[in-house]
Amino acid sequence: MSLLELDGVDKSYGDEAVLHDVGFAMDRGDVEVIVGPSGSGKSTLLRCVNRLTEIDDGAIYLDGEEVHSLDENALRRRVGMVFQSFNLFAHRTARGNITLGLTEVLDLSRAEARSRADDYLARVGLAEQADSYPAELSGGQQQRVGIARALAMDPELLLFDEPTSALDPELIGDVLAVMRDLADEGMTMLCVTHEMGFARSAASTLTFLDGGQVVERGPPEQLFEKPSHDRTRSFLGELTDLNR
Amino acid sequence: MSGTDATEVVETRGSAVGDLPGRRRAVVLAVGAVFWTWLLARWAYHNTVVDRVATALGAPNLIRSERGVRQQEPWIPAEPFAQAADAVGSVAATLGPAGVLLDWLRWLLDLIAFGTTTAPGLAAGAYITVYLTVLSMLFGLVIAVPLSVARVYGGRVLRGLSLAYTELVRGTPLLAQLFFLYYGLPLAQLMEGVGFTGEPPIPRSAAAVAVVGFTINSSAYQAEYIRSALESVDPGQLTAARAVGMSKLQGIRHVVLPQGLRFAIPGWTNEFVYLVKYSSLAAFITVPELFRRARNVGSDTFQFTDIYVVVAAFYLALVLTTTIAMGRLEDAVAVPGLGTDARED
Repeated sequence: MSLLELDGVDKSYGDEAVLHDVGFAMDRGDVEVIVGPSGSGKSTLLRCVNRLTEIDDGAIYLDGEEVHSLDENALRRRVGMVFQSFNLFAHRTARGNITLGLTEVLDLSRAEARSRADDYLARVGLAEQADSYPAELSGGQQQRVGIARALAMDPELLLFDEPTSALDPELIGDVLAVMRDLADEGMTMLCVTHEMGFARSAASTLTFLDGGQVVERGPPEQLFEKPSHDRTRSFLGELTDLNR
Repeated sequence: MSGTDATEVVETRGSAVGDLPGRRRAVVLAVGAVFWTWLLARWAYHNTVVDRVATALGAPNLIRSERGVRQQEPWIPAEPFAQAADAVGSVAATLGPAGVLLDWLRWLLDLIAFGTTTAPGLAAGAYITVYLTVLSMLFGLVIAVPLSVARVYGGRVLRGLSLAYTELVRGTPLLAQLFFLYYGLPLAQLMEGVGFTGEPPIPRSAAAVAVVGFTINSSAYQAEYIRSALESVDPGQLTAARAVGMSKLQGIRHVVLPQGLRFAIPGWTNEFVYLVKYSSLAAFITVPELFRRARNVGSDTFQFTDIYVVVAAFYLALVLTTTIAMGRLEDAVAVPGLGTDARED
């Protein structure tokens, strides 16, 4: 059974249709990368999966269960999210950012939460920065804390919403390295990103979204080398040039 | 933002007095220390605590006088100042018109002599002013937090109720509110049991009614300060809290409020300072606080100008103390990057 399955998802804001009849499925351990021009509905798609945004029509299944039949908080415990603008809790240290969810949502004791937080900080290479506040960290470090925060909840699926778009170019590498490690370890990831290098090397499937619709979907080599749509070719071509 | 910029921001924050450079700041703090040592000593002396301790020690004869008498007993004699004023006055008289400056000195010495005899009674009033203010601020905060949360995050009904309460309270005069509670409602009789002060025939619960009135009033103002602080918290913060599976209330409690309340401290300081002075309205419902005691002294001595100068010094000292203390609080709970430069990328 697929871990995540979208079926005929529609979403519009007022008269503007953002997603139209979007459907795909991904298995446990898959790394799905979604690309598309801005305004194509990529971020909205992610937010529909953990119900930060509610869909108008269609269905989304997590491990066979329709997500609207689940309690939204229970759903989000199982689906982690990493934000473009990091959204670290500004009043808490790197460690405190991770422990808050552990103590409040997973009901771990303070000591357990602390040791788990330190484990995950070490895993993203930030053991030294555990006591630093977000404002004292670089963007790349903040995003790695954001990943550790989502990861520490032990989710079945991680959503990445353009995790590197707000970063200076020299800071992107560290974040992508962490994401690659996760992919190698078999984490199921649904990523919106413009990093074509990552898409090419880490993605199991690449989806090209345009105008709220899935234009083309397949293994990354296929979309990069022999796309069946002109729009895919021109978009990926431009992005790949930009990435160089 | 670079490190140097950040420290500059920190230095410009806080109370005006707290930012004074070294020597002047030390003077302000020394004057404050003397004032508060004296005030606290007076409160201890006025209070029944002294009586209880003396009785418990088996030495009730140590109690030299009744509480009411003790509250008037000066510790610093007025005579030396009065004599000095007379001496200066006679010198000034010989100088004719050129003695204007000496006349000022004489007035000042007379004022000090007057102050030494009236300050003890004012200290007893300051005690009531302080607890009226502090209790009302704290109780007001307890009401203001849910009010402001309802206003920002509540549904239509909660938002409407919160708005109605805030506008009703802010839109009517505080004095009218106090009169309504004290004379309009039988609140004073109902609260007779919780009186802290006042002697018959003044209802002992007048101060309790004043606390209720000030609490209601300041809760509305505090709610407005906190509301605008909550609105300045980046919405992404609550989204992030929800995304790890926290409920909306959990997110508000653990993420939005800790940040919003820090943003609210400057506005909160403002309200605190206002309330120190607005608490003088309790005089009109018979609470013998600072202003009422001053007015009574004026009625007895007809030296209204003098007593209002002395009482102004008291209020100034209380307000400066509040500002400095709140500046300290702001520094104590400061988090790097939160508030002052939180809008940076």
